[in-house]
Amino acid sequence: MTMENERANLERRMRKALQVLLLQRGRNPGVKGWELRRYLGRDYKKITEVLSGELKTFGLEVFVVPGLEPTEESARFMLRFRDSPTLTEFETAGHRIDDLAVLAASIAFINAKQGRASRKEIEHFLREKFPKWRVDYSLDRYIKRGYIDQDDEALLRIGWRTRAEIDEKSLITLILARGNEVSPP
Amino acid sequence: MSENRDKKLEDILRLIELCKSVASSSANPFEVNIREKLQILKKRLPDWKFLDELLLDSEALHQLVQIVKLQEQWLKHRASSLYIDPMLLELKLRLLSKEELADSLVRSWHPITQLDQLAPRGLERAFTYWRDLAPISERFREEFSKLGTVPGEIDYDELVGMRIFSKEQFDSKLQEIYQELAEKSSEAGVDYRIFVNGKDFEGTVIRAYLIAFLVTEGRATLRIDPLTEKITLFPLAEPATGETSSVAIEVGKA
Repeated sequence: MTMENERANLERRMRKALQVLLLQRGRNPGVKGWELRRYLGRDYKKITEVLSGELKTFGLEVFVVPGLEPTEESARFMLRFRDSPTLTEFETAGHRIDDLAVLAASIAFINAKQGRASRKEIEHFLREKFPKWRVDYSLDRYIKRGYIDQDDEALLRIGWRTRAEIDEKSLITLILARGNEVSPP
Repeated sequence: MSENRDKKLEDILRLIELCKSVASSSANPFEVNIREKLQILKKRLPDWKFLDELLLDSEALHQLVQIVKLQEQWLKHRASSLYIDPMLLELKLRLLSKEELADSLVRSWHPITQLDQLAPRGLERAFTYWRDLAPISERFREEFSKLGTVPGEIDYDELVGMRIFSKEQFDSKLQEIYQELAEKSSEAGVDYRIFVNGKDFEGTVIRAYLIAFLVTEGRATLRIDPLTEKITLFPLAEPATGETSSVAIEVGKA
């Protein structure tokens, strides 16, 4: 295969990968590794890496969320923003500051409790800052959207969407760094 | 003999309860001494003769397995880079304002991008659903005929009849809340959620009812921002005219 043919083949497979990643299938976004292998062939991981590099120009990236099994086949591949939108942009998209603050505090609180906390405990903690109706409304909203998981015993854990969209390490670092900023003389 | 047996059963029940309480809270799973509990189960096992007792024993073992699973997760989390002193993090969360919390979140947020599309197959399914859907009157008859009374409306006369209001009280309360609204609202109106809050839940419901009455009478109007879902209430000097529409607003227990 000539260099030109190889290039054309790669571009064709990248276009296919982009289509597969963009189109919603099922309830949750993203595509499992085994599905991508079916569409793109064995070296699907490499194709997604090249695509991710190409998408950099548009501020996007291919992000991989590990699955339950430690294999690439069970991992979920999805397209996401490379850089975070601004607070104003989030507000325009329908997120209230109160809701965002509830989500930030809930994620950090669950992490502080080693990855699980009872809903009652979180509600009690959040009610120091927010009225009850706001806490209930925001928690229910983010549970419904997959940012937080709630089981039958009302135990809350980090949801799949948080794992996919939110850099938890960065969130916790930012929270801890707040208030420690040195102001210019 | 029987007393001794009851005591042993009680031990097993207590063990199950302990495991359940640890599993359903954020307590440290290492607080359960697995080795000690397994030894208890091992010691008691020869005493069990009935099926119920053996089932209880296996339930206790199952609960211990769940705790071991939690211990594994706990260790994994602790070993990860996300581990931070819980007390420090909680303290920080308490000290930060909601703006700072929201800002920290959005700086770490990378939203997923995806296309929502309607495929021909979906369109076909929607058409079939619509074609086969019975008229609403028939569906309601089927769904509610066995349930007795369907949810209905309660009007002012009924409230008076139930002695929740007397006629005089109602008119004066209506006037009072209108005055309060006029005083509290600026050009940008007043946040409905804040304004409706009463001393307790009952008070909130009464205020919500009175506001609904004011709006229906055209002495106040509501504006709902579709993006932020913020509801703003405005008093009107003169009764409003023009097209009206109904809106349902949930009033939760504060």
